[in-house]
Amino acid sequence: MLILKTLARKKEMHGFEIAESIQQTSEDVLRVEEGSLYPALQRMLIQGWIKGEWGKTDENRRARYYRLTADGRKHLETEMHRYERVAAAIARILQPA
Amino acid sequence: MRKLARRFTYWLRRNRLAGELEEEMRLHVELRARKLHSQGVDRAGYAAHRAFGNRASFGEASREMWGFIRWERLLQDLRQAVRALRKTPAFTAAAVLTLAVGLGMNIAVFSVVNAVMIRRLPYPEPNRLVSIWREYLRNAPPGFANSGFAEVGAGGHLRTNCSVADLVEWQQRSHVFVGLAGYQGTLMNLTDSGTPDRIAGETVTANYFPLLGVQPALGRAILPEDDRPGAAAVVLVSDEFWRGRLGADTAVLGRSITLDAHPYQVIGVLPRGFEPPRQFGQTNRIEFWVPAAYSAEAKLDHGDSDIDVLARLRPGVSVRNAQAEMDSISAALGRQFQEDDGLRAMLAPLQDDLVRRVRLSLLALLGASGLIVLITCLNVANLMLVRAAARRHETSVRYALGASRWRILRQFLVESMVVAAAGCSAGILLGTALMQLLVRKAPESIPRIGAVSMDWRVFLVATTLATLAGIVFGLAPAWQASRTRPAESLKSASRSTVGTMQARGRAFLTVAEVALSLVLLIGAGLLLKSFVRLMGVDLGFQPDRVLVMNIPLPNLRYASANQRLQFFQRVEDRVQSLPGVQRVAFANIFPLRGGWSTGVRLDSAAGPYGGAGGQVVSLGYFETLGVPLLRGRLFTPEDHLGHPRVVIVNQEFARRFLPGADPIGHRLQNGGSAPWMTVIGVVNDIRRGGKDARITPQMYLPAAQDDFYRVRLGSLAVRSAGDPRQLAAAIQQQVWAVDKDQPVTAVMTLDETISASVAERVFNTLLLVIFAAVAVGLATVGVFGVLSYAVSQRTAELGLRVALGASPASILRLVLRQAGLLIACGVALGLAGAWALTRSVESLLFGVQRHDWTTYAAAVVLLSTVSIAAALAPARRGAKVDPIVALKYE
Repeated sequence: MLILKTLARKKEMHGFEIAESIQQTSEDVLRVEEGSLYPALQRMLIQGWIKGEWGKTDENRRARYYRLTADGRKHLETEMHRYERVAAAIARILQPA
Repeated sequence: MRKLARRFTYWLRRNRLAGELEEEMRLHVELRARKLHSQGVDRAGYAAHRAFGNRASFGEASREMWGFIRWERLLQDLRQAVRALRKTPAFTAAAVLTLAVGLGMNIAVFSVVNAVMIRRLPYPEPNRLVSIWREYLRNAPPGFANSGFAEVGAGGHLRTNCSVADLVEWQQRSHVFVGLAGYQGTLMNLTDSGTPDRIAGETVTANYFPLLGVQPALGRAILPEDDRPGAAAVVLVSDEFWRGRLGADTAVLGRSITLDAHPYQVIGVLPRGFEPPRQFGQTNRIEFWVPAAYSAEAKLDHGDSDIDVLARLRPGVSVRNAQAEMDSISAALGRQFQEDDGLRAMLAPLQDDLVRRVRLSLLALLGASGLIVLITCLNVANLMLVRAAARRHETSVRYALGASRWRILRQFLVESMVVAAAGCSAGILLGTALMQLLVRKAPESIPRIGAVSMDWRVFLVATTLATLAGIVFGLAPAWQASRTRPAESLKSASRSTVGTMQARGRAFLTVAEVALSLVLLIGAGLLLKSFVRLMGVDLGFQPDRVLVMNIPLPNLRYASANQRLQFFQRVEDRVQSLPGVQRVAFANIFPLRGGWSTGVRLDSAAGPYGGAGGQVVSLGYFETLGVPLLRGRLFTPEDHLGHPRVVIVNQEFARRFLPGADPIGHRLQNGGSAPWMTVIGVVNDIRRGGKDARITPQMYLPAAQDDFYRVRLGSLAVRSAGDPRQLAAAIQQQVWAVDKDQPVTAVMTLDETISASVAERVFNTLLLVIFAAVAVGLATVGVFGVLSYAVSQRTAELGLRVALGASPASILRLVLRQAGLLIACGVALGLAGAWALTRSVESLLFGVQRHDWTTYAAAVVLLSTVSIAAALAPARRGAKVDPIVALKYE
């Protein structure tokens, strides 16, 4: 979901940019092994939520740029919706009575 | 679906994708390193790698997503299994062959059972068709049970046909049927083309075809107007008749054919392949159908019962409901009509009724072939266990290297499934061949035997059996392998430690195998003994070198008994003069070919009737058949009408009706108004119904005094000096010289008739003997295998024993004792099983009790001897163990 959200914000990114973006927006709270991004990307490619196309970076290096598909956007919306409900529920439970 | 397609394209491109992923990840690490470096981090490259994590494992995780990894693993297992099996060709061949034999036999037998009993009858909604017959709840009428052809029905009482009057009453009173139809077999002389022919047909009521759900392919069916006495004679013919005898002429409708010297107009042709219910179990083809046209008298006569009845149930009515209604109708009819008193109309699904005679023997055979499959599985399981034991080391290593228990279990299962699949394919091939052999050898009296073929049911059963077998014999070793504790097993690399579990498992399998084989062996032994007993039965006459034929004289031309007598006397004179003919006789019917029975009253007893069979015979009858005269005299030319009526009886008749008295001179009659006859002679008892028939009271009446009885002269018998079959054509010529339109049918020697009558028994016995032989063979192999393995496992121990001073003889004893124990357990179990299971073959036995102890003993001795012999070779090997070699081997 994080990856999808990140991609939703910007039009297209390659792997390193996605990782950077997640780290920055979360202000380094979420630290996982960066490599685990790649199997996750593969999974989403298979699911059809994102598309990947080879392009050139600013430094003229070959890199794969990912972008959200219509399916991915829809999936993100339902996920967001669900997340908000769960988060709200958790918040209510944690609120001091 | 799209996901699957995408996954598939990814899978196709997986190699390129792996490269691309690698490139992406490399770029990522580089960019990270550069960034860290710019932030002033030391050894930025290393840090970048650490932050990234295990690149290989991420690659692996991605690859799993691209393809069908589960299937690939299975494929890998399969490949591995095939490779492993190919490395041990002897084991594989043995396992596959064993399975093929077991499955093949089962497939063959099941395909017969399928065609005869399971496959539905070829009519629309066949499960609503029922057959109706009647059973005597109390005593059958005199003579009925003595005819030698009485049958006990499903209700446990003597079974009889229905009367026309019953059919009419049932039609009026019942509400559970769409309709009830009467039908009856008939034979008629067809004289239109060249040589006269005797063909089989049926007389049927008009609703017969509509109830079966069959419409003529050409023309029309029988209408109610046709089915009345006095209506114009019409006939429906089979497709075969139409093609074979009418030249497939589409303009055939309205043409007439001559049946029994009477013209019948052809009104329709039945569809190709149509077979009426009576055809199942009958060898001669049913070729025509004529309206029954029951007379008004017949419709009121409750006593004359000679028609078959079939009915179609209304939708939603069960056989049980229909039976309940018929029961109340039977009770009402019994109160109303004296002839129906004590008779109960019974009904059963038409299909069940048609196969009732072969059902038990087929089920017994199916059971036997099921036992064979069990034995096969046990044997293969045994082989698998031995193999698994030999691979303990390998399994342990795989465990130690981190294979999961499931993975190891699965590998064993996959291996056994590969064996099962191979065995199944080979079994289907073998089974098809066996099936064709079975069909060719099977007696034609088995209904629908010609329809036996492989179909999806046979295939389904074969594959299900193979799969089950694969799981059963794969699971045992897999279970054991999965329980392997790698540490222990690897520590003791020596092969002398055999898991007691494993040893016990194999011992159990061997015991079971021996037990099952014994059951089969005893079953086969009982049948074999029955057969020997049956063959040893003395018929009471000499059937060799006697040719018998039917000469059915049509009523129209030979209306009186005297006309028939004159015809046969002329034929007799002509045939007698043929070279090679020793003696000629004629009668209503000859032994082994049917009979007639009637009530008898004697002058010595005022009491009720007895029953006896009756024949009308010519002067030469007893000499032709070789029936010895025991007292009194035979018939002479003087015993004709106008002279005193005489009769000859058999011993059984004298014993039953005139005990202790001299039968000669006694008088008897067959009914209230029949004339009295004087007994002039007593002849030897003969088994008219064949070797397995009972001896029944018989009386023989001279053909020249036949003016009263319902029997009609219709058969000729010739005793020859040489092979009687060579006379057949010449005899036929003589018959045609007397009447050129007269067919001669059912020309067969008595010996041929006898072998046809025991054909089914020969077939069953042969099959069961083959089954038993295969079973004993398999069990022997099993005992041999287990002991060989046990000896090779105990080589070190045996060597030690020898080193410590044990004599070879004592070692031999040691191994044999182990074998003996296994065999003894198996025999005990098998005896118990046979004691219980031979019930299923009871109906197939003749002159042997199902608990015949000599058969049991013989089977035990045979099986024990064979298996001990099988144990001897490994035992000898054990006794010859050289202690030095054995201990060095450690």
